[in-house]
Amino acid sequence: MDGILTAHAALEKSGNLSKAIADVQLLIQHLQKARDAVAETPELTAMHMAKLKQPVKASFDQIEEDLKEVNKGLNHYQKAVKDKFKAAQLPAAGADGGVLGKEAGLVNRAIAMHLLREGKFDVAHTFVREVNERAPAGTGDEGKESKGEERWREDFNLPSDFAMDEGDGARLPGGQLQSKFSEMYHVLNSLNNQHDLGPAIAWARVNSNELERRGSNLEFELAQLKFIELYTSCEDPYHPFAGPLQALQYARDTFPAFSSRYCKQTSNLLGSLAFSTALDQSPYTSFFHDESTYTNVAATFTREFCGMLGLSEASPLYTAVTAGGISLPILEKVERVMAQSRGQWTSVNELPVETPLPPGMQYHSIFVCPVSKEQGTDANPPMMLPCGHVIAKESLEMHARGKSRMKCPYCPNESHPREAKRVYI
Amino acid sequence: MAEFTSSKLDADSHLLLDQPLLRLPTELLRKTLKSAQRQIEMTNKNITSATQSFNPQASPADTLASLDATLAKAQSLKRKLEALHAEEQALHRQQKARINHLQELHSIPTLADVKYDQWSRKRLDRLLVDYLLRQGYTQSAKELAREKNLEELVDIGVFEECGRVERSLIEGRTQECLAWCTDNKQALKKISSNLEVELRLQQFIELARSGDTKHRMDAIVHARKHLANGQDAQFGLRAAGLLAYGPDTLVEPYRTMYSPTRYQTLATLFLQTHHDLFALPTQPLLHIALSAGLSALKTPACHSVHALQPSTLTGAPVCPICSTELNDLARNVPYAHHTKSYMEDDPVVLPNGRVFGRERLRVLNEKLGMKGGRVRDPTEKNGVEWSESEVKKVFIS
Repeated sequence: MDGILTAHAALEKSGNLSKAIADVQLLIQHLQKARDAVAETPELTAMHMAKLKQPVKASFDQIEEDLKEVNKGLNHYQKAVKDKFKAAQLPAAGADGGVLGKEAGLVNRAIAMHLLREGKFDVAHTFVREVNERAPAGTGDEGKESKGEERWREDFNLPSDFAMDEGDGARLPGGQLQSKFSEMYHVLNSLNNQHDLGPAIAWARVNSNELERRGSNLEFELAQLKFIELYTSCEDPYHPFAGPLQALQYARDTFPAFSSRYCKQTSNLLGSLAFSTALDQSPYTSFFHDESTYTNVAATFTREFCGMLGLSEASPLYTAVTAGGISLPILEKVERVMAQSRGQWTSVNELPVETPLPPGMQYHSIFVCPVSKEQGTDANPPMMLPCGHVIAKESLEMHARGKSRMKCPYCPNESHPREAKRVYI
Repeated sequence: MAEFTSSKLDADSHLLLDQPLLRLPTELLRKTLKSAQRQIEMTNKNITSATQSFNPQASPADTLASLDATLAKAQSLKRKLEALHAEEQALHRQQKARINHLQELHSIPTLADVKYDQWSRKRLDRLLVDYLLRQGYTQSAKELAREKNLEELVDIGVFEECGRVERSLIEGRTQECLAWCTDNKQALKKISSNLEVELRLQQFIELARSGDTKHRMDAIVHARKHLANGQDAQFGLRAAGLLAYGPDTLVEPYRTMYSPTRYQTLATLFLQTHHDLFALPTQPLLHIALSAGLSALKTPACHSVHALQPSTLTGAPVCPICSTELNDLARNVPYAHHTKSYMEDDPVVLPNGRVFGRERLRVLNEKLGMKGGRVRDPTEKNGVEWSESEVKKVFIS
């Protein structure tokens, strides 16, 4: 990188046209001088003109030198870039644009959803419009669009304005996804920027059953926060108990509805009422002075909201592209090695090498059969022997061939192959 | 799962995708330099010849007039150079911004760093704009670049120009592309491109198509002028052959030559040539990064018939490949290669065959409000309850 930086500094300093321009200015001055001289002493025109030849030639020689200098700077810079990247070729991602080249519709959908997730509603709007404009023309000369193409755009049949002003009740027909995400942004915006719990609580109440089924704590966390908010809301010195009393009232109205698993938290909250005048010294102070509570609740909210839509909380496009950035160097190397022997890495249904990702990017458990070293699939699923050891179905069949009882490959236990049980990992 | 040996960031190999970022401005700088050279050469010729051919017999007034003309030429050269210099400076700024962006990565020690997250987000935005530009969604690209403050890192101008020429070809016009060829004459010669001849051949085909004698004569003149200039004789031969057949012929290769789809072919050729010339990859970078990423993340479970609905309660974050956005897209890419199982600690199996980490099962059942000693499969809506004793330890190596 340093090489590039130096070369670039040189470009900015001397590898540019500024010198050439200065020299053109000199040339202009020569010409101007000659012109003035001719105007002044017309009788000496011939001499003035003769005297002009040499400087003109010299000027142009100089200007050409200047350009050579620029050229040299550029070459230098280009070389630095080349050294940096060592001419590594980009992996081809499969022949003819790979799988993704054929799935433009799906790629577009992923992008549109990503833009919505990012809260870039305007850009998403423009994008869907541009895709729609293109669609009829595209079908003409490129043949059929992939199936996904038609369907996803319906999700984006945009309402003219977004459901930003009303939290619930403002469900718009069509533009489902759009309105969902604008709802999410509305709630998040209130939570993070205005510390307003209203929209979040309203949303949680509407979706109370679903949240409970998902085993989510969101509704309780919101109620807890509301309790604290009420507790500390009243600063009136004449009514030091106004806040705590409001909080108590809220607790009486709300808390009984929550399941018994929050028993401990609710008693903690109510216990704090006894200390209302000296909260800072009470054992409950941590409830009241936690700056990150709103952020935490916002994160829980995002997770639940996306989870209920069947979407992951971070943009999958971001995760995938980041994972791609991490694994590309490995894949590039493989492609280079395999170039002669077997073709590109997208031609088989499993990558030829391991592409380790950071722990945060592992979402599923992986089963690799300890006998065959193959991954469990629908066709070759993991099977558990009565002793609790798991091997792949094909390995099991191979191992048990021609025998009525088989020994577990990993312990002395013997069993009948029929006793092995499919497990779901 | 292979050990993720270290989350150390190897910036050099990580920048694989970012080569074009630095290359394009350089190519553009070269182009600016070439135009400067051309301007200077032309002015040099004009001015030198004007001063050399001074006629001593001419009246002083004439000499003055000719000097004024020369002066005007020099001034116009200066103006042109100044314009090019401004362009050059903009490119230098762009380079600087790009170098800085890549330099940032070098200062990030690990992949776990928050700064890496930010960097990667920026890269994604960059790749998205690149993709949008290549697909011709120019307005979206511009808006995204503006909102994300990426203008220095993306090449809106280049792609806009490229898209304009491409569209003109698809609509059946060759002038725009010919003008582009003239602009880049030397560079095209260097990579011995056929683009210009192919365009000239297309013009010839149009003249031949109309069928009347006058146009056919024009076609011959055109062919002599443009198709017989020392390049591949094939072009002249094909052109001559074409004259023997009418536009409705079924004889190859003339049928294909008359076909209107030839414009599409020309557009593709133009794109290839254009990307070649500016050191741009032929595929959107997003495709490259995404297909690698999809594969690295994909597991056989993501498209299994037993796959759980992504909205199912599993206590784990939703996998990006299982999420609606990417699920269909990832269907046909290969899945990641693993040589070792990757399981939660202390896996146990429920009577229905589903495997959980013991701790996660406990937490989820607690959330479901199960009383002590009883368990349920949390992924099933109204699952059966079992006694805890039915949960068995499972050995997965």
